[in-house]
Amino acid sequence: MDFREKRRSYWYLVGPAVLIYSLVIIFPVVVSFVLGFTKWSGFGSPVFVGIKNYITMMKDPVFLYDLRNNLLIVGTSVFGQIPLGFVLAYILYRKMVKFGNFFESMIFLPITISAVVVAIMWNRIFFGNSGMFTSLMRMITGDQRWIMAISESKSGAIFPVLFVILWMYTGLYMIIYLANLQKISPSVLEAAIIDGASEGQILGRIILPSMINVLFTTAIFAISGSLKSFDLIFAMTNGGPAHYTEVVAIYMYINTFKYYKYGFGSAVSIMIIILSVGLITILNKFVRRIERKYE
Amino acid sequence: MKKLLVLALVLLLAVGSLFAAAEKEAADGVVELDMYHYHNLADDTATGQWNEIMAAFEVSYPNITLNIEYQNNEPFHNKLQAMAVAKQLPDVVYLWPKKRTGYVTGAGLIKDLVPFLGDKVNEFSPAAMTPQGPNGEIYEVPQQVTATHVVFTNNKILDELGLTYPKTLDEMLAQGPKLAAAGYIPIAMDNGDGWQMQSCFLSALTERAGGMDWYNDVLVGKASFSDTEFVNALNVIKVLSDNDMFSPGINQAPYGNALSDFENGKAAYLIDGGWRVQSLVEELPEALVPYVTLEAFPDIPNQVGQSQSTAVVAGTGFGMNANLEGTKADAAWDWIWFYSGEEGANIRVGHGMIPSYINADMGSQHPLLAKLVDFLNTKPAGYVIDAVVDGEGMGVLHPGIQEMMFGNKTPQAVADEFEAWVAANDSTRNP
Amino acid sequence: MEVKTNNMNSWKLFSYILMAIFTLITIGPLLWTFFSSLKPHALIVQSPFKLFMEWSPANYISAWKLGEMGILFLNSIFYSTIATVGTVYLALAAGYAFAKFGFRISKVFYAFFAAGLLITVHSVLVPLFVMENWLGIDNTRIGVLIPYIGFGLPFQVYLATSFIKSLPTSLEEAARIDGATYMQVFWKIVIPMAVPVTVTMLIYAFLGNWNEFVLIMVLTSDSAIRSLPAGINAFAGGMARNYGFQFAALCIGTIPMILFYAAFRKQIAKGFAAGSLKE
Repeated sequence: MDFREKRRSYWYLVGPAVLIYSLVIIFPVVVSFVLGFTKWSGFGSPVFVGIKNYITMMKDPVFLYDLRNNLLIVGTSVFGQIPLGFVLAYILYRKMVKFGNFFESMIFLPITISAVVVAIMWNRIFFGNSGMFTSLMRMITGDQRWIMAISESKSGAIFPVLFVILWMYTGLYMIIYLANLQKISPSVLEAAIIDGASEGQILGRIILPSMINVLFTTAIFAISGSLKSFDLIFAMTNGGPAHYTEVVAIYMYINTFKYYKYGFGSAVSIMIIILSVGLITILNKFVRRIERKYE
Repeated sequence: MKKLLVLALVLLLAVGSLFAAAEKEAADGVVELDMYHYHNLADDTATGQWNEIMAAFEVSYPNITLNIEYQNNEPFHNKLQAMAVAKQLPDVVYLWPKKRTGYVTGAGLIKDLVPFLGDKVNEFSPAAMTPQGPNGEIYEVPQQVTATHVVFTNNKILDELGLTYPKTLDEMLAQGPKLAAAGYIPIAMDNGDGWQMQSCFLSALTERAGGMDWYNDVLVGKASFSDTEFVNALNVIKVLSDNDMFSPGINQAPYGNALSDFENGKAAYLIDGGWRVQSLVEELPEALVPYVTLEAFPDIPNQVGQSQSTAVVAGTGFGMNANLEGTKADAAWDWIWFYSGEEGANIRVGHGMIPSYINADMGSQHPLLAKLVDFLNTKPAGYVIDAVVDGEGMGVLHPGIQEMMFGNKTPQAVADEFEAWVAANDSTRNP
Repeated sequence: MEVKTNNMNSWKLFSYILMAIFTLITIGPLLWTFFSSLKPHALIVQSPFKLFMEWSPANYISAWKLGEMGILFLNSIFYSTIATVGTVYLALAAGYAFAKFGFRISKVFYAFFAAGLLITVHSVLVPLFVMENWLGIDNTRIGVLIPYIGFGLPFQVYLATSFIKSLPTSLEEAARIDGATYMQVFWKIVIPMAVPVTVTMLIYAFLGNWNEFVLIMVLTSDSAIRSLPAGINAFAGGMARNYGFQFAALCIGTIPMILFYAAFRKQIAKGFAAGSLKE
């Protein structure tokens, strides 16, 4: 019909969102991107330094270790939260337990609580003398000097954090999968059961194929969310002790807001975006391959 | 539909501007000052003192209204930094004397208070009036002089086990097993945040191990943090840590755990800053007060510096925006003077702080405060490392100390890494 | 058959164990936090496990007063509500345009929004603060709302677009033939059909805004226009040693969210069933 009316309506619909979004995200990110090639302490003019910030970053063992921690978080999300969330959803979907609603609530509840609150809570539980877990272990072992030894080892310190991350976000995936499982037509399932299909066959032939898209989408969220993760770790360990639990976002934050290296900090935040895009591209390729198999 | 959309946006903007416009208009003769203060609402001790000062100020200066924003910890500095970049500093700002808030004082955003102070400089202890800028500027009037290293000692525990305060590191180490066997923590300390070990212990140890001449040389690059002196200082921490002298989980503990242990009579010693007297005045059980003494760490092996030395830094206080002129500047000065001068000082004494203002009424002191005054008057002092080396360097030193305590790095390696950073980046070495 | 029942039983046992572990890990800490919030600081430190004793709301009263929680609470409601409605409306509008107009530029815009999912708040903090200063909207409510709306958009646009794409076009086409404008179609047909995803969007936007912490800290300075997370954090920082206040503040921030979840549990679950996560 009238193309002009269509075009005008389009801008009424899209315009405000694009405007606000550009103002608060796109424009500042572009500024960050440009600053990433400079040295700037906030005063005077930024000095152009080319890709020096990126080279410094790649040579910094702290950054590389943070990257390792981030990848562990990505791993926890993709290979922990997603399968676990799926198993839990599947259990609830097939009604293998009573009080399904209650369990569902308990698993999902953490996601509704602010990350800062969760972090402070777990900090008080794990660390310090009067913490719940520490006190409990001291009572059980009778050792008044008992501590979370794992938090003092370079390779292990991240694990309590991973545990909290697993606990906090698995519920979200569970809810998503449960909702999508419930969309599968019950008649298809019944037919399969009547045909004598085993539990494994039902899962592999009917359920998983119809969930591929959802699994893929959630994996994207898991990756980008993992690389951005900040609030929880910042309030729980602040990256310590000795950078052992630090992640790239905290590295960026410290360099920007504590050491006032705006140029360098901007480069790190651009790096986070680059990494996300890279990982998601790999994931995409991988999923396409699986999809082809099923077709 | 277009109208509806426009209406929605207009409404949104209107609501916003309505709130923006709701800011109070100043009445005649009243000066309004925007103030940015470092304060933690959950800190009972500081809040009590702060409320008393505010109440007294309102009585003395009814014509000055303070609009205060409170922040604490890292967010305080983040926000201040952002305000500095945007050149939107409030009228009155809470500042550190040296490098902690160097990002605003060093950028010319804060007024030099020397002309305001005039002869009043002599009413403060000399340590408080050390220059804060390259040309002798004073950007903030320090409210106190702080000793960052004090060994708070519970003599009740020592008496009980037939011990006395040790004279040397070895004597102290020998007490460890006895204290532990009796169920006590030998030295309570928290280092989860990393700064405590540096500020409250290593700073004092550095002077002990190297002496002031060496310390001064290091800062300008004539000596080095890689020298045996600094390694020796670090080694003291390592030896204590290896012998389980510190609180268990010291490098995970949030700041305050150790103080609670000490107050509850679970620890023989507490290594912390002099500011902890404020908390002890309020929280220490009455029966324990006579038993608590304030000491400096015992002599260490190969000690070059002064016996019994601590580390001292001029305290924080308020400064004013460089752009203030006329009545606003006068009002800002009224506040700064009120806070750090006689009236504020008198109030502070009542709350367990030692003001830098020397004519304060020290009459009715808490016994612990008297001990702190004595401590400050009798102990020699060196620098606090984070006051003389840039903050980013602490990002190298603090994790290094923690790794050393975990056994992942030698004291020499920590010293070398720190020196490498300082040599390449520190603003004193690279002006 | 025997084998199968056994198999089934061990599956059940496994299921119960898994569910129980999760439940314990959730309930334990929350209850511990709650009980601790009713105890004075000294008791929390001395006997962290003593649960049943004289409970006292003293911590709550002190935390509420010291932290000026009343005003923070109202502000939280204000920001969460307005920003949520704003984000969801804008996202639905954009989602409709992206899904149904078939304009090529939509792909570009959509990619822009999708990229927003990868951006951390911190990477834009400084430019944002400087910009708000320049516009004169720093430390105002509008200066908080606009970024809140903006940061909610990527996820919300994604939800809205993918949902509206899955709607049948026949109704819209019929309405267009009857002479309805595109905006009328949007209000009268698309929004009513999009109710399921709208509910999900509202809930998630509300949760996100309620828990937001970094922007409010940096973009506002006046405590009268701040929200709850800023107040909670004030009790957790460096020198804060009164655990009783801390735990009370944590509970003040958490309890409304638990009630919120209890009230909307069904909708939260249903929202995702509405096909919102299908590509």
